[in-house]
Amino acid sequence: MEHVVAQPSLTNNEQTEHWSFLPIQVKPLPKLVQDVDASWPRNGIDFWVLSEMKKNGLRPMPQAPRRILIRRLKLDLLGLLPTTEEIREFEADESQGAYEKWVNRFLSSPRYGERQALRWLDLARFAETDGFEHDKIRAQAWRYRDWVVQSLNQDLPYDLFVKFQLAGDELVPDNQAAQIATMFCMSGPDMPDINSQAERRHFLLNEMTSTMGGVFLALQLGCAQCHDHKYDPVSQEEFYQLRAIFQSAVHVKKNQSISQLEEKRSYEKSYLMVRGDYQRPGVEVFPGFPRVLNKEEEVIKDNPSNESFTGRRSQLANWITGPDHPLTTRVLVNRLWQDHFGAGLVTTPSDFGHMGSRPSHPNLLDWLAAELVRANWSMKHMRYLMVTSSAYRQASSPRFSVEAVGSRQRWKESKGRDPENRLISRYPRRRLDGEILRDCMLQISGTLNFKMSGPGIRPPLSEEIAQTLLKDQWLVTTEEEEHTRRSVYVFSRRNLRYPFFEIFDRPDANHSCPKRNTSVTAPQALVLLNSQFSLACARRFAGRVLRDSPSDELFVRRAFRLAVGREIRDNERVKSLDYLEKQKMQKGGGNKKRDRSSYPLPLPETMPPGPSIAYTQYCLVLFNLLEFCYSP
Amino acid sequence: MSQKCTSKQEAEPVSRRQFLLTAGQGAGAIALAGLREKTGESAFRKPHFQPRAKNVIWLFMHGGPSHVDLFDPKPELIRHSGQPVPDSFGEVMTRRDVGNNPLLAPVKPFFPRGKSGLEISDFLPRISECADDLCVIRSMHGDSVNHPQSVYQMNTGTTLMGNPSVGSWLAYGLGSENNNMPAFVVLPDPGGGLKGGPPAWGNGYLPASYQGVTMRPGKTPILDLQPSAGITFEQQERNISLLRSLNHQFFNDSERDDELGARIAAYELAFRMQMEAPGIVSLDQESQHTQRLYGLDNPQNFEFGRRCLLARRLVEQGVRIVQVYSGDTGGWDAHRNVLDNHGKYCRQIDVPVAGLLKDLRQRGLLDHTLVIWGGEFGRMPMSEQGKGRDHNPWGYSCWMAGAGIRGGRAIGSTDPIGLRAMENKVHVRDFHATILHLLGIDYRRLSFRHNGLEKRLTGPDRARVVREILT
Repeated sequence: MEHVVAQPSLTNNEQTEHWSFLPIQVKPLPKLVQDVDASWPRNGIDFWVLSEMKKNGLRPMPQAPRRILIRRLKLDLLGLLPTTEEIREFEADESQGAYEKWVNRFLSSPRYGERQALRWLDLARFAETDGFEHDKIRAQAWRYRDWVVQSLNQDLPYDLFVKFQLAGDELVPDNQAAQIATMFCMSGPDMPDINSQAERRHFLLNEMTSTMGGVFLALQLGCAQCHDHKYDPVSQEEFYQLRAIFQSAVHVKKNQSISQLEEKRSYEKSYLMVRGDYQRPGVEVFPGFPRVLNKEEEVIKDNPSNESFTGRRSQLANWITGPDHPLTTRVLVNRLWQDHFGAGLVTTPSDFGHMGSRPSHPNLLDWLAAELVRANWSMKHMRYLMVTSSAYRQASSPRFSVEAVGSRQRWKESKGRDPENRLISRYPRRRLDGEILRDCMLQISGTLNFKMSGPGIRPPLSEEIAQTLLKDQWLVTTEEEEHTRRSVYVFSRRNLRYPFFEIFDRPDANHSCPKRNTSVTAPQALVLLNSQFSLACARRFAGRVLRDSPSDELFVRRAFRLAVGREIRDNERVKSLDYLEKQKMQKGGGNKKRDRSSYPLPLPETMPPGPSIAYTQYCLVLFNLLEFCYSP
Repeated sequence: MSQKCTSKQEAEPVSRRQFLLTAGQGAGAIALAGLREKTGESAFRKPHFQPRAKNVIWLFMHGGPSHVDLFDPKPELIRHSGQPVPDSFGEVMTRRDVGNNPLLAPVKPFFPRGKSGLEISDFLPRISECADDLCVIRSMHGDSVNHPQSVYQMNTGTTLMGNPSVGSWLAYGLGSENNNMPAFVVLPDPGGGLKGGPPAWGNGYLPASYQGVTMRPGKTPILDLQPSAGITFEQQERNISLLRSLNHQFFNDSERDDELGARIAAYELAFRMQMEAPGIVSLDQESQHTQRLYGLDNPQNFEFGRRCLLARRLVEQGVRIVQVYSGDTGGWDAHRNVLDNHGKYCRQIDVPVAGLLKDLRQRGLLDHTLVIWGGEFGRMPMSEQGKGRDHNPWGYSCWMAGAGIRGGRAIGSTDPIGLRAMENKVHVRDFHATILHLLGIDYRRLSFRHNGLEKRLTGPDRARVVREILT
């Protein structure tokens, strides 16, 4: 056994007085200058946002028109496109609170949990397999995904949401859902057949501890596995004190996947592992919280009365969700902010330490954090506040603005003085995530299957991709109607992200991902243009529109409206009709069998099949429009 | 595992920075002329110092080829064949508990080859003809007795999942020389089933555009490269043109930002790739002589030979790194019978690899192309099931050729029976540092910030550029 020097002292003010470790401070809303924008704020958010804009000599962008607002809102909350009827209804509704009505309607839709779950599952590095060589299926993993969807739909208060995932088994032992929630801890990669099971357990525990720190506290503890954290006041010993909390619940057996925590009282000691090496135990450590966040000097004590539970994780969960914890609430509201405004107030959502960025609006962040606790930790309430704010309703560009006059000038100033949009002086247009893009394409094609829950489904893979896997690792789901279920239900294999999602930057499930990249690549264009999936959707889309479009003119109008939610403009119409005309004239490859695979579905009886391909292709082009692929 | 925490960086506006990284990547991504003018970025990024090699062809023998039967002659192993490992070697961790099994002599004889006299076994007669080009590292070692961990380590520097591969790091560090082709191409074994799977060429936490793009020889080299059946070239051209005009019309110049612009450009590039890639991957233009050089006239060399030839063509086109895999799920994993297993695989690769070296040399490409040959580990000197061998990460061989490396020699050594690396040891991270060095990159300076840590290929521990290779 090796011994290391004692804990470094916490005397460095710069470290302990770091903004995110200080208590949350709610300041009164700022006084605004009485100018043209004085009536702009709708809720507390807007006061803080506007006051920062004014300090920088900026004015907010005018509001986006209704058809844009409802598209943005529905994509953001449900991950789906508004129907033509919904757009019409909203545009026609002149009553007070018409917009808020839609917000509430969307928040109570079961589609809400499906969309928001994707975001949480990125953080939870969720997959339904182990990874590594055998990448074996974790047969029960989908239950965790379902639990997340349901909890979000039911608006389970965030403090409970956290508690269940860390210690559901201890806190409510009779509640099966709470047991399932603890799968969060074990969602990472694992190699059950590794030679050294001690090594396996070491990595599992370290990974779990680091993930917990990053997700709930935005503390990057990874560094402290091997040495004292260089920038944040977390020592190596403290890392292993946190890890000791999980130790009694993680038990490995060779060749067996594990997914749930299983608390067993044991008298196994915990050690600091020198240089993070599983073969080098150092000093003995005891479960505990990092000092810098533990001003009350709370101690973790094993529950003396309960024979099966140590109660360590319950104590951790209670400590994390204590109303005075400076990180937990700030971290969550910042994540929600990122969901709706593209970037967090803190742009490093899983790093609130010294290496992370500082909040652009510290007062707003604290206001939101306090509001969360006040509203009984309701995530729906927080999203409601965000999406009903004036800040959220701003136009993303002059084109999408209700006021033509002056909006171009304001947009230029916003781009010029606030290039990164840290001041939220415009709405950030964003590309849809791959999962949402797929759902929207299925929706437009009229084939989206809204069946909820159950084991992940496996739509067909192209042969080339399937070949890179071991045999039988992607057994295609037999019922074809299952192939068009929402993306959140597509089987998540750790060693093979579903290609359509991967190409649009779905993170791999080996690390918690707090923020996705948005890359721009040619393969993305290839997939949207050429893949079998795009073609299948385009055929259905074309078939659906052709059914009641007696003329090309009507076809083009209707298809355009379905895809981008607005009327086609004259010049667009002319171009589209000209395109159809020429495309129909074009002789196909001459191979009937191949041509048939591009006919609209269903092909109207009266339509000559050869030229019908033109309609399919027009629909394919619509899927590739920037206006289709972006949230406006 | 562990990461190095280095000095604090100024927080950069991440989105823009990420975007530029992505934008500057060549065909995985978009090189947007206007954007580059504005920012001074280019798809091709400068190395830290004068590189020896511009390109890499990495021949990856999946499963673990046996060094003691191919490139590391061990007279002591012949002498002690059939006896247990002498006590002086101590305990050894093995995957299948073969520590107490009797030693097994090399299953084929070794002979000095070429002018240099570098010893190579009779398994590889044609590669032996190129002995004077090879610099064998006989003292490689890694950290895991398991396949996927070792495949990950050899490709990404750690035994864990989810880290960027060497190819992704090179794509990130150096970009592409050809804006119509990806910087990092992988030619997997058509048998499939690499242990550890596609994360072996994954981008990890680097942007998605840096991941390895898998290609195959033939008509569909890249996924979804060609329009669906029934759509002609002219029709596709008309699709792109309609798309272009609708996009341009809607987002006029003043409203189009860098990202929208790049996305529009992505379609142009996709269309160019659609045009150009099939030509690049088509081997028909190669002369009979060249095709024969790679063994395409021989059924057992045909498949691997085609991929080796394709690798050369890709490198010629400016692709930065091409990885060619040999071996399906089982691959070179000769647990039961080394003679049978290696006999089969050596027959497949011997001619093509020798052909590749000769072809690169005759075209003058070898000087600036680094060729790497090796697996995820080697094999034990003890026998398994009589005539097979278990995994050995503690000591094994890889070789390098080209890139101005002096061939016909071996560097480092294992102990007298080939169990562990002994002299001049080269850990996988040293191997990686050396590869980066040969490409003009200082391994300490190629890093990427992820979750608060400054990450690099070689990890937090000190690595060593193997200077002996450079002399």
